[in-house]
Amino acid sequence: MDVLLFKIALCAYLISTLGYITSLLVKRVLAARVSTWILSLAFIIHGGSFLFRCIETGHSPFINLYDSLSFFAWIITGTYLAFQVKTKTRVLGAFVSPLAFLLMMVASVQLGGDVSISSILQGRLVTIHVILSVSGEALFALACCAGVMYLIQENFIKNKKVGGYSRLLPSLRDLDRVNHVCLLWGFPLLTLGVIAGSIWARTAWGSHWQWDPKQIWTLIAWVFYAILLHQRLAIGWKGRKVALFSIVAFLILLFAFVGANTFFITSHKFM
Amino acid sequence: MNIILIGINHRTAPVEIREKLSINCEDNDGPLVEIMEIPQIKESLFLSTCNRVEVLAGVADVHSAVENLKSVIFSLGNLSSEELEQCIYIYHSNDAVRHLFRVASSIDSMVMGEPQILGQVKDAYSRCIEHNSSGVTLNKLLHHAFRVAKRVRTETGIAGNAVSVSFAAVKLAKKILGDLKGKTVLLVGAGEMSELAAKHLMGSGVSRIIVANRTYRQAVKLADDFHGTPINFDLLEENLKEVDIVISSTGAPGYIIKKDVIASALRRRKNRLMFLIDIAVPRDIDPEVNTIDNVYLYNIDNLQEIVDENVSIRMREAEKAEIIIDEEVLNFSGWLKTLEAVPTIVSLRKKVGEIIDSELQKSASWMRNLGEEEKENIKILISSVTNKMLHDPITGLKEESQNDGAAPYIAAIRRLFRLDDADE
Repeated sequence: MDVLLFKIALCAYLISTLGYITSLLVKRVLAARVSTWILSLAFIIHGGSFLFRCIETGHSPFINLYDSLSFFAWIITGTYLAFQVKTKTRVLGAFVSPLAFLLMMVASVQLGGDVSISSILQGRLVTIHVILSVSGEALFALACCAGVMYLIQENFIKNKKVGGYSRLLPSLRDLDRVNHVCLLWGFPLLTLGVIAGSIWARTAWGSHWQWDPKQIWTLIAWVFYAILLHQRLAIGWKGRKVALFSIVAFLILLFAFVGANTFFITSHKFM
Repeated sequence: MNIILIGINHRTAPVEIREKLSINCEDNDGPLVEIMEIPQIKESLFLSTCNRVEVLAGVADVHSAVENLKSVIFSLGNLSSEELEQCIYIYHSNDAVRHLFRVASSIDSMVMGEPQILGQVKDAYSRCIEHNSSGVTLNKLLHHAFRVAKRVRTETGIAGNAVSVSFAAVKLAKKILGDLKGKTVLLVGAGEMSELAAKHLMGSGVSRIIVANRTYRQAVKLADDFHGTPINFDLLEENLKEVDIVISSTGAPGYIIKKDVIASALRRRKNRLMFLIDIAVPRDIDPEVNTIDNVYLYNIDNLQEIVDENVSIRMREAEKAEIIIDEEVLNFSGWLKTLEAVPTIVSLRKKVGEIIDSELQKSASWMRNLGEEEKENIKILISSVTNKMLHDPITGLKEESQNDGAAPYIAAIRRLFRLDDADE
C-alpha cells in the first residue's frame, strides 16, 4: 500500500512540475494555480505513504538515504504550501515542485527493495535525529530557492528590466520573508537534530563526536547559518547579501548531506 | 429586424462637439425616450460617456430610421448638420455588432483596456430595461457583448499592465516592497505627476505621507490634501530613515539627495528596502544611489520606458482581442439569422394548434360518451402525430436559416400553409 501511494504521489509531483513549467512558459497564472492544488494532493498522498509504511513495518519510515530524500521532498512541499497560504509566492512552486519530484525519483530507486535495517538504527533517538535534521535541511533548501529567486528578481529590478519574467516573480520583500522564516525555523531544527544524533552516537559508538567527514561538513554549514542568522537578527542584513549567503550555506549543507557519503569514507552511512 | 449603430467618439469628433453633446446627455433618460418615439425604431440603447455618444437600435426601415436618429442627435447637441456629418459614423448589421463588442471590450477606448466602459455600457442597458426599450434582439446582443468583454479581459492581457507613469510607479513599489500597507511615502517638492503617484499609493494602502518642500507653507498645503505630515526641508535627511518610498520632483538645479545620505539612512533603518522615484528634470537624486544594495532608484525615463513597453503589449493583445471579437460576431450573426425563421415557425405551430382545437370541437358530440382518460389519450395521440409531422420542416428551416438560404423556404411554407392569410 505504501509503495502504491508513493507511486501516485510521484506522478502527482510530476504533473504539478509540468504545470508550473507550463505556467512559466505561457506566462499565465491559471496553470500554476491548478498545479498548487495537485501539489497539495501529492503532499497528502505522500504523507499517507509514510503512515502506511510505519504501520506495516512497525518502525520509523525514515532510515536510509532514500527515505530521508523522500521525507525531504515532503517537508519542502509542505513548507511551500504553508507559505502559499500566507504570502503571494506562488512561483516558488516552480522551483520547489521540480526539486521534490527529482528527490522522489532518486528515492524511488529503493522501492520494493529490502527494508530490513540493522538493530543499531532502531532506536527512537535515530528517528528524532532524522526527522529534525531533514526538516531543518528542507527549510534551508527552501531558503535557498527563495534566495535564488530573490537574486533573479533583484537583478531585473536593479537593471530596470521589469517586463517579462519579472512580472511572474514575487516581490522582493515576500521572497526575503520566506528566506527569513525558513532560516529562523530551520536553524533550531538542525541544531536539535545534531544534538539528538550526538546523544545517540554516544550510546552507539561511545562518544558524542567522531570527526566524521559528514559531521565536519554539517558543522561548517551550521556555523555559516549561525553567522547568517546573527547578522540578520542583530546587524540587520537583508535582501541580496542574505540571499547569496543562504545559497552558499545550503550548497555546503548539500555537500554534507549527499557529497560526503560519496567522496569520503564515513561511518555515517546507512544504505 | 436590422441592427444599426450610429454615433460619434473621441476619434471622430473634437472635444468641442463631444462636450456639446454630453451636456445635454447628462440626463440620460431624455434621449432614450426621444429615440423610442421614432416610429421605425423597435428597440434601442443609448450610450453616453465623456468620449462617446452612441445609439444602438433595432429598426424596421433602415434609411428613414437613420435620418430620424441623426436629427435627434443633431438637436441634442445643437449641432449644425455639417458638423454632425463630419464626425458621425453609422454601422449596419455585423459591423454594428462588431463595434459594440469592441466598445464593451474597451478596445475602442481612448486608453485601451480601461475598465470603466463596460460598466457604462451596463448602465446604459439597465436604463434600457427600465424604459422597456430593448427586445429579443438587443437583450441577446447586449448579453453577448458582456460575455465578449469578459472573454477579452480574461483571455488577453489587454488590461494587464500599467499604462501611466504613476500607476507604473505603484506597480514597481509593490514589486519591491510587497504589500504597501503600513508603508511610508516621502514627497519631495510638488508636481502633478508626483501628487498623482502619491494618490495612487494611498489607494494601495500606504499609511503615511510625509511632505517636504523648500517653502514650508507649500508643504503644509500639500500635506493637507493627503492628510500627511509636513516637514521642514532641513529635516529631510533625518526623516529618510522612516521612509520606504521617496518621490522627488523639485525644481532644484542639482542633486538634492546624494549617495551618502541614502547610505546612512539605510543603515539606520537596518537595510529595509527603499524605493526612490525621481520625476524631476533635471534630476533630484544622484544616480549613483542605485548602486547601493537594497535601494532601487527609477527616474522619469525608466518609468516612461516601462509604460511604453506596456502600451505596446496592449497593442499586441488588442490583436488577439480582435480575433475573439470576429469569432463572436460570427456566433451572434448565426443566432440572428435563425431569428428570421422564427415568426414563420410560430405561426405554423399556431395554425396547427387552431386546426386541432376546431376539429376537437366538431367531434365533441360523439366524444361525449368517452371516459376522461380516453379523451385525454386521443388528444395526446393527435398532438404527437402533428408534432412528428412538423418536426422535420421546422428543423430544416432552422438549418437553412443558419446558411443564409432560408428565404425561399420561408416563402414556400407561408404560401403552402396559407400562413399569411391566417395571420391577418
